[in-house]
Amino acid sequence: MRNRSIISVEGSGARINVTPMIDVVMVLIVFYLLVGQLAIDRKASIVLPSSMIGIDETQEEDPIIVGVTAEGLISINGNAIAAERFAGEIEGMHARAPETPIRVRAHRDAPFGAVRPVMRRLGDAGVKQVELVTERKR
Amino acid sequence: MIGHPPKRSRPLARRNVLACSSRFGPNMTPMVDVTLVILIFFMASASIAGHEWFLRAHLPEVQDPDLVSSGFSLPTPMLSAELFVRDGAVFVRGFGDEARPIDTVIEQIRNMDAEVADGLILGIRAGDDVPYSAVVSLHDAAASREMQVAIR
Repeated sequence: MRNRSIISVEGSGARINVTPMIDVVMVLIVFYLLVGQLAIDRKASIVLPSSMIGIDETQEEDPIIVGVTAEGLISINGNAIAAERFAGEIEGMHARAPETPIRVRAHRDAPFGAVRPVMRRLGDAGVKQVELVTERKR
Repeated sequence: MIGHPPKRSRPLARRNVLACSSRFGPNMTPMVDVTLVILIFFMASASIAGHEWFLRAHLPEVQDPDLVSSGFSLPTPMLSAELFVRDGAVFVRGFGDEARPIDTVIEQIRNMDAEVADGLILGIRAGDDVPYSAVVSLHDAAASREMQVAIR
């Protein structure tokens, strides 16, 4: 029983055994990471196309994420936005931070007719290149 | 000298040999706990962060389709592919005289000589009813040969 005590009184002074606390905190972090990711995927309901080639995530500044669902609904950073407001919004964001990469997460079954306007608005806003998010083909 | 008072040894007959031997060495339980949690953490983070990546695509500056050829901000594309749907299948115009199924074109691109393909620009145009995944598949094939891709 003495070995399992949280407060150890052996040695020069009382010490708190932080190992169980670290265990619990780490498990909670993992839990929230998983739940958060699942929640985002479900909310966006975007199934990505797959690719054999791609560029891995870089640790640069956070990108602007433009989502396009299979129904053609547009979102910026997870927040749905009307198509007519998209151009103004993205133009403002790009003007404020022109170096911020823009990542397009479009549903694989979305008709290109729904994706093209997004690309065009991005091009109109002065964006030279975009990153098309895909899933690794296994 | 300040320290623990010397422990009084118990009589030999009352010692449990197995119990004594189990106390030797460090207690491994917390270390195993933490190691397992770290292992799970990295497995989870790898599965979250590791299954997505991205392809880079250039965007034309001028959006009017009639002006694309004259106002394109990039150097003139060496290759141009136009995707369209016919009888429920995706075809590509621009590789050869006739439109070909997209799988054939992807195979053709993948078999291109790397030295020839490297640095080429592939401009992709697609009809409204073409699935986005078809565009990405063509982009993927071009990227595998180090081509740059512009989506019009």
